[in-house]
Amino acid sequence: MISPFATPRRRAFLLGALVAVLALVIGYLGGLLTPRLSTPGDNSPEAGFARDMSTHHAQAVELAMITWQRSTDGEILQLAYDIATVQENQIGIMQTWLKDWHLLPTGRQPKMAWMPNGTKELLPDGRMPGMATDAEISQLRSASGTPLDILFCQLMLRHHLGGIHMASTIASISHDAEVTDLATTMKNNQQGEVSNLRRKLTELGAQPLGS
Amino acid sequence: MSISSPQTGGSRRPSSRPATGAKPASKSATPTKAGGGKGGGRPPVTPVKVSQGRNWGPIALFTVVGLLAVGIIGFGVYQVFKSNETWKDQAGAIPGIVNYNKTDPELVKSGVHKYGHIDYKQSPPVAGPHNPNWQRCQGDVYPAQIANEHAVHAMEHGAVWITYRPDLPQADIDKLASKVKGNDYLFMSPYPGLDKAISLQAWGYQLKVDKASDGRIDDFIRALRQNATQEPGAACSAATPNYITSTGTTPHDLGSPAPSAPAK
Repeated sequence: MISPFATPRRRAFLLGALVAVLALVIGYLGGLLTPRLSTPGDNSPEAGFARDMSTHHAQAVELAMITWQRSTDGEILQLAYDIATVQENQIGIMQTWLKDWHLLPTGRQPKMAWMPNGTKELLPDGRMPGMATDAEISQLRSASGTPLDILFCQLMLRHHLGGIHMASTIASISHDAEVTDLATTMKNNQQGEVSNLRRKLTELGAQPLGS
Repeated sequence: MSISSPQTGGSRRPSSRPATGAKPASKSATPTKAGGGKGGGRPPVTPVKVSQGRNWGPIALFTVVGLLAVGIIGFGVYQVFKSNETWKDQAGAIPGIVNYNKTDPELVKSGVHKYGHIDYKQSPPVAGPHNPNWQRCQGDVYPAQIANEHAVHAMEHGAVWITYRPDLPQADIDKLASKVKGNDYLFMSPYPGLDKAISLQAWGYQLKVDKASDGRIDDFIRALRQNATQEPGAACSAATPNYITSTGTTPHDLGSPAPSAPAK
């Protein structure tokens, strides 16, 4: 009988070709799937950070925008403009991460659950560290002149300290270079601004708020 | 290893001459040299005796490896398929949700600004023209009714608006408020005349439920918060001067050129 599989040589060749094709298919699928499976998951610290820091940043933008509209101090205006634009941009970066990771902006876990200390990081009324209360925001909205500048520095200083705590935590526990890079620059940038805010408060004859 | 094992096993058959290249020949030549030293010619090659039956070892190995590979790839495909489910798919899977993108696409497309009172077909409204000033939606829990015209603008920015009939038990109100407080892109207010106890709205979507413990509330928020929007990335915070943090059903026409001027 003559068939394409007649000789062991042909059979070996065909088997080899089949195995090679299979190996290529498996390799291709593996390469296709691996990046999708190795991105941070829904309950990962990275996703928690991206979500919580977006909310944290959104308040900084609000504090800065209120002040930018109404302050008359050139240095405060510059600082407020800087904070509002930087943090709004960083919200966009973090939201893009979530999209890239095929995750939704809203998670299933409580705030700060991604931190090693979990929800113990939250203040007794449920705020994330450094967040202003609604009453403080209303107070800022109705302030003007030097009291506005002082309150902005006080609220933003405390806000930054909370943000630095979150950013330095994710920078130390994450292995995602995109995440640790941004978190590290957040931390460094806000630490610099903390020094500026402290100096400005001294110049305005005021003290930082207690935490 | 996986390539060579079936060749050495099942596929080789005894034959007078080894059909494959020089390798088997040279291998079998070695013992011959040691055995008989007579003459210069090559002695006939003794065929290697191999069992005629199937060699089950490699077959089993192949099967196990194959099944493992299929399992791993299958798991990967499933995970990717699952993560490919978009927020629209997730919203569409919520029982009872109304998707106005399907039933009234024109309404969902339109986001023009108008001062003054606006009539909405839906109650509470889900999309459409709205006041230039948006309702602050940084997790605000409003104790009294707010103007539809501002709320619709907040939803255009990606916020989910939770409304409830004022006779909802306080425990249920507190439960809803706990979902809203501290979360941007969420806001909540009572809504007299509501046909169900609770109604959730996002731009183009609506879900009405009876109890604050209904699991679909979290599903709705999770799928649509920041996703159902005509303006991705737009703020919920009280920008300047277009922000509203007060209640009352009459729209606050901040920035209107004149009280009676037509809408821009």
